[in-house]
Amino acid sequence: MAEPKPALDSLPLKAHAASLNFHYGDFHALKKIDMPIYDKRVTALIGPSGCGKSTFLRCFNRMHDLYPGNRYEGEIRLHPDNVNLLDRAVDPIEVRMRLSMVFQKPNPFPKTIFENIAYGLRVRGINRRAVLEEKVEEALRGAALWNEAKDRLHEQAFNLSGGQQQRLCIARALATEPEILLFDEPTSALDPIATASIEELIAELKQKVTILIVTHNMQQAARVSDFTAYMYLGELIEYGWTDDIFIKPQNPQTEAYITGRFG
Amino acid sequence: MALQTAAEIRALIARHKRWDVIFGIIGILCLAIGLLTFVTLFVDMLLDGYTRLKPEFFTEFPSRRAGQAGILSAWIGTTMVMIVTAVVAVPLGVAAGIYLEEYAPSNWMTHVIEINISNLAGVPSIVYGLLALGLFVYQFGLGQSVATAGLTLALLILPVVIVATREAIRAIPGAIREAAYALGATKWQVVQGHILPYSTGGILTGVIIGMARAIGETAPIITVGALTFIAFLPPSPVGAEFPFLSFEWLKSPFTVMPIQIFNWTSRPDPAFQANAAAAGFILVFMTLAMNGMAIWLRYRIRRNIKW
Amino acid sequence: MPHSEHLSKQYDSDLEDIRSRVLQMGGLVEAQILAAIECFGSGNYDLMAQVTDTDRRVNSYEIEIDDACAHVIAKRQPAAGDLRLIMAVSKIVTDLERTGDEAEKIARMAKNIYDRGRLQIPRSADVRHAGNLAVAMLRRVLDAMARLDAAEAERIIDEDAAIDDEFRGIVRQLVTFVMEDPRTISTVLDIVWIAKAIERIGDHAKNIAEQVIYIVHGTDVRHTVKEGHGEPDGGPQ
Repeated sequence: MAEPKPALDSLPLKAHAASLNFHYGDFHALKKIDMPIYDKRVTALIGPSGCGKSTFLRCFNRMHDLYPGNRYEGEIRLHPDNVNLLDRAVDPIEVRMRLSMVFQKPNPFPKTIFENIAYGLRVRGINRRAVLEEKVEEALRGAALWNEAKDRLHEQAFNLSGGQQQRLCIARALATEPEILLFDEPTSALDPIATASIEELIAELKQKVTILIVTHNMQQAARVSDFTAYMYLGELIEYGWTDDIFIKPQNPQTEAYITGRFG
Repeated sequence: MALQTAAEIRALIARHKRWDVIFGIIGILCLAIGLLTFVTLFVDMLLDGYTRLKPEFFTEFPSRRAGQAGILSAWIGTTMVMIVTAVVAVPLGVAAGIYLEEYAPSNWMTHVIEINISNLAGVPSIVYGLLALGLFVYQFGLGQSVATAGLTLALLILPVVIVATREAIRAIPGAIREAAYALGATKWQVVQGHILPYSTGGILTGVIIGMARAIGETAPIITVGALTFIAFLPPSPVGAEFPFLSFEWLKSPFTVMPIQIFNWTSRPDPAFQANAAAAGFILVFMTLAMNGMAIWLRYRIRRNIKW
Repeated sequence: MPHSEHLSKQYDSDLEDIRSRVLQMGGLVEAQILAAIECFGSGNYDLMAQVTDTDRRVNSYEIEIDDACAHVIAKRQPAAGDLRLIMAVSKIVTDLERTGDEAEKIARMAKNIYDRGRLQIPRSADVRHAGNLAVAMLRRVLDAMARLDAAEAERIIDEDAAIDDEFRGIVRQLVTFVMEDPRTISTVLDIVWIAKAIERIGDHAKNIAEQVIYIVHGTDVRHTVKEGHGEPDGGPQ
């Protein structure tokens, strides 16, 4: 468990936020956030409701651009090409093609399992049946759903159980081979068994992809992540190795939240 | 600890439940008033007109002799007008609804437009008739034709279609929409791949309910100048020679069911009253059939959509 | 660290209960050592029985506190300061229980000596002095735990060396004593056992002090060279 941790500067960066401010209309939702996202590591964002953790996550794929009255300042740089995801000149669609997202509740399209996963590829203009079939299988295997779904690829996705639906959503997100996988409280609507299977999956996925996960379940953050960031009222209070945050946090506010003294 | 004894609680529940019963009865009565009135009317029309409900009634033109009069020109006119209405109102209304929900920026202009569309649904139909008379008949020179009537009714049901489209789109959960955008889809890809397919059931229902309203409209049709007595059919849209399709029928004079009924009811001869009742029965039946179709379509399409 | 209260009052009271029971157990062990040293000095047989009796209570404290720790872990998934407290407590009670065993051993050896009827006990004062040092150390480390005083805990760790020195001194002198009069060998051996037990008590106190530092700073100072715990004490880095 407690293998020696590598020095932070020796780890490759996948992205980093620098002086990131975000406004919803007049509301200053994120305040000057600086944070690294290390390559092929799981970074968890925790904090009480309304602390801005989901808002921060949704900056990464520019989801806020779908709604009016939002303003970004500062940058989120994606490595290695060092592009600023928040740059006005960067099309949010390009950003969303490079980063995938898994949402709070399983939200499969009311289509077949196959079409759900193929959709991201179809959006990219990939329509050749053979290619789609190969990619769908690969994505389903990646999301540990292949064995359960291989005989029912052309059934409606909503016939799957909640946990399977969420894994389908993960498969859908994986099919486009994203550089970062964003999880927005992915297990909050699932039972403990389905939750465990998603957590297991996250542990496997980090071999291949960088993961950023928002969770309101502190134990989940402790279980799945390498790094943890504690946010409160739009500020990043503490960031560090998950082991350190959960055993010896430096900031009393983090300590209070982690130990359930928040309120 | 107990605030009240079990017996007291039971008495209290009994008292509270009395209101359930009272409201239930009131509700049934209200429902019965509406429903019974309709059933009475429907049955009355059937009784008055059933002697006339023979195949010839559908294949005969109107006539001075009540016994020989039919609704051929009326039902064909109604069908043609409805086709024009649907062809015009559906694309316009659906496109407008999609624009307002998915594309329109959220500013005061949009809000003004939204409020006006809701209000348009409440404008008296005669006003549409007047508008159409000025615009289509005189300005565009379409004359007193099927096209004019179809366009008029299309205008009339446009707000209904727009509102139904918007409601159907709003019923799609934001999470589904976000899921599509998060995969890198453009607005049009989202509309085409998700918004339209998932809202088709709702839109169709709205369209059919709008059409059911239009089919019975009389005032605007009279205003644009439908004939009350017509003993010929518009030219057939399908021809035997190339190009097989003809749009001449659009320019043809016409009559529709409600006008035919109005015409017969204003005759003194009681035999014509039977004709009117029979035609009225058929009109109500057409409306009910359209509503039934709306329900069936919605069921068919919703079956594969769950969230 | 319990600066403020948990959202769950029950959690607070569970932790408080564990903390106060550890201190009670510590008090009991402290009294037990004092009594054992007293036995060694005076040969009071009643007191010897009492030491053995107390050990049974100490043992049941250990079991109860461990059980309470397991409950908190299962029910509350403690984190950060709470987690460190629970982890440290479950180690501290082991040290305290072993300290109690050492006290019992002192009493048993004292009984051996007095059973033999030897009234002259070599280096008795030195041994009692070392014993009092160990008791003082234990008392202070329990205070440090109650007050979460890491600085005091570090001083205690340094002081363990003094007891070790005392022990080596006593052994050296006893060796010369035996060489002069080999008939005293059994008694001298018993005294060496007693001195060893006292030295062990000092080690246990040191272990507890290390756990106090862990509770406060989250730094593990076990098995580090003396300078080891001098690293920045978990302050913001």
